[in-house]
Amino acid sequence: MRSDINKPVWLGACAAGIAVCAALNQGVLHPLWVRNYAPKNLSVSSGLAPDQMLLALAGFREMVASILWVRADTYFDQGNYDAVLPIIRMVTWLDPKQIDVYSTGMWHIGYNFTDEQSRSDRRYLPSALALGAEGAKNNPETYEMYFETGWMWFHKINDQYDNAVTWFEKASEKSDIPPARRNMLSSAYQRAGQLDKSLKLYYDQLNKAEIAMKEQQDQVTAFTARQQRDTVEKNLDVFLVRMSQRGNFNADGTATELFDTQPPFDVGFSAEVSVIDAAVLRVRATWNVRPVGTRIRVILRDADYPNGTDAGMDFGASDSVNLDPPKNLTFMQDELFIRNRRADKKMDMSRDPTMYTFSKDKYYLDFYYNPRSAPPHIQDRFGFLGEGMTDKNYLNTTARNGERVIFHRMELTRDMLKREGEWIDKMPILRTPNFIEGSSTRTGEEELIKVPGLLNK
Amino acid sequence: MRAIFNIARTTFGEAVRRKIILIILILGLAFIIITPGLGILSPRSERAAVTSLTLGLIQMTSALLAITLTIYLVPNEIDRRTIYTILCKPVRRYQFIWGKYLGAVATIGLMLLMMTLVLLAVFAFQFNDRGFNAAEAAELAKAPLMFFFQMSLLAAVAMFFSVWTSPIVNFFLTSGTYIAGTVFNGVFETLKESRSTSPILRALSEAVQAILPNFGRFQVQNAAVNPGQVIQSEAVYFGTAIGYALLYIVVMISLASVLFENREV
Repeated sequence: MRSDINKPVWLGACAAGIAVCAALNQGVLHPLWVRNYAPKNLSVSSGLAPDQMLLALAGFREMVASILWVRADTYFDQGNYDAVLPIIRMVTWLDPKQIDVYSTGMWHIGYNFTDEQSRSDRRYLPSALALGAEGAKNNPETYEMYFETGWMWFHKINDQYDNAVTWFEKASEKSDIPPARRNMLSSAYQRAGQLDKSLKLYYDQLNKAEIAMKEQQDQVTAFTARQQRDTVEKNLDVFLVRMSQRGNFNADGTATELFDTQPPFDVGFSAEVSVIDAAVLRVRATWNVRPVGTRIRVILRDADYPNGTDAGMDFGASDSVNLDPPKNLTFMQDELFIRNRRADKKMDMSRDPTMYTFSKDKYYLDFYYNPRSAPPHIQDRFGFLGEGMTDKNYLNTTARNGERVIFHRMELTRDMLKREGEWIDKMPILRTPNFIEGSSTRTGEEELIKVPGLLNK
Repeated sequence: MRAIFNIARTTFGEAVRRKIILIILILGLAFIIITPGLGILSPRSERAAVTSLTLGLIQMTSALLAITLTIYLVPNEIDRRTIYTILCKPVRRYQFIWGKYLGAVATIGLMLLMMTLVLLAVFAFQFNDRGFNAAEAAELAKAPLMFFFQMSLLAAVAMFFSVWTSPIVNFFLTSGTYIAGTVFNGVFETLKESRSTSPILRALSEAVQAILPNFGRFQVQNAAVNPGQVIQSEAVYFGTAIGYALLYIVVMISLASVLFENREV
């Protein structure tokens, strides 16, 4: 049986129906779908193999991400670190909820790329931090990426501690943060000079730990709860002792003027830098602090390094993850370890031409010491914030926004560093005016600190 | 209406007895059951990976079922000449098409229901000790629910092609439309967002994405894969998406009916 269908009318109605569908799709469904259900990144990544791409696009993103991560582990075991980088990016693109990949990726980028003398390639750090920030943004329900990003500021950058505080504070706001991790915020407060906040947090932590210990006394977690209480109590005790020893009795935790940190001690910094060969420096320094434990930071960078600052760079300036740092930039960071009031170190950059390209004309060599990261026995004399430290030549309060640091900058040219031009046969030597020639070697038995071995009877 | 119902019932009865359909279903179910074993690939994201994979499997199996089932519905009737015994009765051609289509949808619905029940059972077994409860089961079941409308739309597209192409051609046409409406969404988005795309290509990709049946709109599994996401206007979205599917289905089946009216059988 055939019906009398008016074909043009039906086709017109169908066309109208498709138009309504298109309007619904683009006008209502698309924005809501992107907001609620779309994977974080809809774009197509060119780094996937065709089969992986098809699987990923077909909705198996999480599984492809897992398979890729297993492959990354294999590359890592083989020492093929460069191959791991794109996989990290790919996995976080496919599955932004893989917190382990974000945290491991951050660590890998920030710590594992080193030169022949085990110096980190710090050009990667802005990207590592950007990856951490991205991970935190994509996983705001957990403390983990906030903590990891704070940890990178605290431990790896080990400077500009306000940034570590900011991230640790965000981590501490999350309900899933373990108490032991929250303790880190107290340490960050101390280094950022916010002693009153550190003390308040310790008391708060102790209070919470005691409540938790009572609540869990009959549970399997009782030992952990007791451990946390004991740890916080010990940290608080040590902090109070140090505060009293260093004279931090003012209401805001700052120091009075009557204790061990006064009068300020002159560290007598001086330095000499010799370019002994192309891209090889010999750095000698003096430091009048007898106990071991001083590490003076030495940074050599392009004078116009992007976001460069005194003795560093603005590591948090980047908001994008770039796994291929600009190859034409040079940024070297090393440390002088002071023994017997002197340091003498050869810094060889000649074996890493891709890391130290020396493609610019002008370079800064910065010496930097921040007592906030000094070990406790030195802080007992210098104070938490360096109030017990001075240097008649190089004390600086502008490099780090009012923090008392030692800072000195030398300027070098590419020709000097590469021993080219006029420096082919002439060794460039730069000295602070107070550097005393010959003071780099151990001049007498009386200057050595003899540490008796406990087992050496 | 009665004619449509009778044809649908007969179609459903035939479909559930077809071996190829049962084989696809059994394979799909088997994969769903063994998938949790692959959770070891992502130790801390086991649940997310397994959820993603199992829902993906359900989607793929359902799509295969919908296409395989629907592309033969009309051609088989013509080849076996059984269509004459139907059309000689007081049955209009559009009723025949609608009946066939609804029978296919009922079959797809039953298969999807079975896979969803197996999925929930697997999750209850696998994640029982990790707090898999009724609320999570309901959240998980939303994805197959939307797959049902997705597959109904896919069946309508296959039905539309089946009245004027051979089953083999139909298979590729329908599969191509499905792929373009799902996996190519990312490609279209890339074309739209890329600054290097020419305005003409961008307009073209927008037009194609708007006009083609957008199967990707029924992929709501991201919320089940990554729990804790704040979903805004869920009811509005589900309502609109279902309305979109129903309207598109009506258009497709109407077009199929119009074309079938003029076809010599």
